[in-house]
Amino acid sequence: MAERLYDLIFICMPTTPEEEITKIVNTLEHAASEHGGKVEKVEKWGTRKMAYRVAKQREGFYVYLALHSTQGSLIKELERRLKVSDAVIKYMTVRLDEEIKRQQKLVAHREHRARRRPRKLATAPAPAAGPAPEQQAASS
Amino acid sequence: MSEQQPATPRPSGPSGGPREGRPPGPGGGGPPRRGKRQYFRKKKVCRFCVEKVDFIDYKKVEMLQPFVQERGKILPRRMTGTCSKHQRWLGVAVKRARNIALLPFATEL
Repeated sequence: MAERLYDLIFICMPTTPEEEITKIVNTLEHAASEHGGKVEKVEKWGTRKMAYRVAKQREGFYVYLALHSTQGSLIKELERRLKVSDAVIKYMTVRLDEEIKRQQKLVAHREHRARRRPRKLATAPAPAAGPAPEQQAASS
Repeated sequence: MSEQQPATPRPSGPSGGPREGRPPGPGGGGPPRRGKRQYFRKKKVCRFCVEKVDFIDYKKVEMLQPFVQERGKILPRRMTGTCSKHQRWLGVAVKRARNIALLPFATEL
């Protein structure tokens, strides 16, 4: 299976001590490595004002994780742990690999097209970077 | 008695040449809505197309804020001048941000 990319954000109660949050993050990392995943990045955004009340709180401690995984079941496991934890009041996982792929394709398209235009006068056939851009460039 | 003849033709809605980045929208036909607001005030270009943004990140609230009303509603495309593709991505990003309490669902005025 292709490597999947996820964004996991969870919010803890603002009164949670720092060590507990670190403990939660470590638990998630352990669970991830057990299920064939890897935590790429951990960002603690700190206490932030939330746009609406969650669990009767106005502020929350935001933590952001970027995950790489080959198995989809990992997310279920992580969310289960977050659900069980008392300090975590909200969590959300977003799957991003398709979007990143699309973004990279757009960037590649654009670069390819930019490269072709100044070279149009010099060399006729462009270096074959991919089958799809050929049709596009022909019409430009 | 002075003859008052305003010979200036009334600007009828979206007359004018091709607009950049905007396919012919709903301004073509139909009677102009009085009282509400004018149609199509200025030519607007899609901000994301100009900046060549490929991914509208739901985590960046400052990027999303100009496209959301004070009440929390998403602004329609004709107000912001965004192109359809980016408007869809924007909607997705705003909804994700709302779910994680970065943006409100609705605020009371």
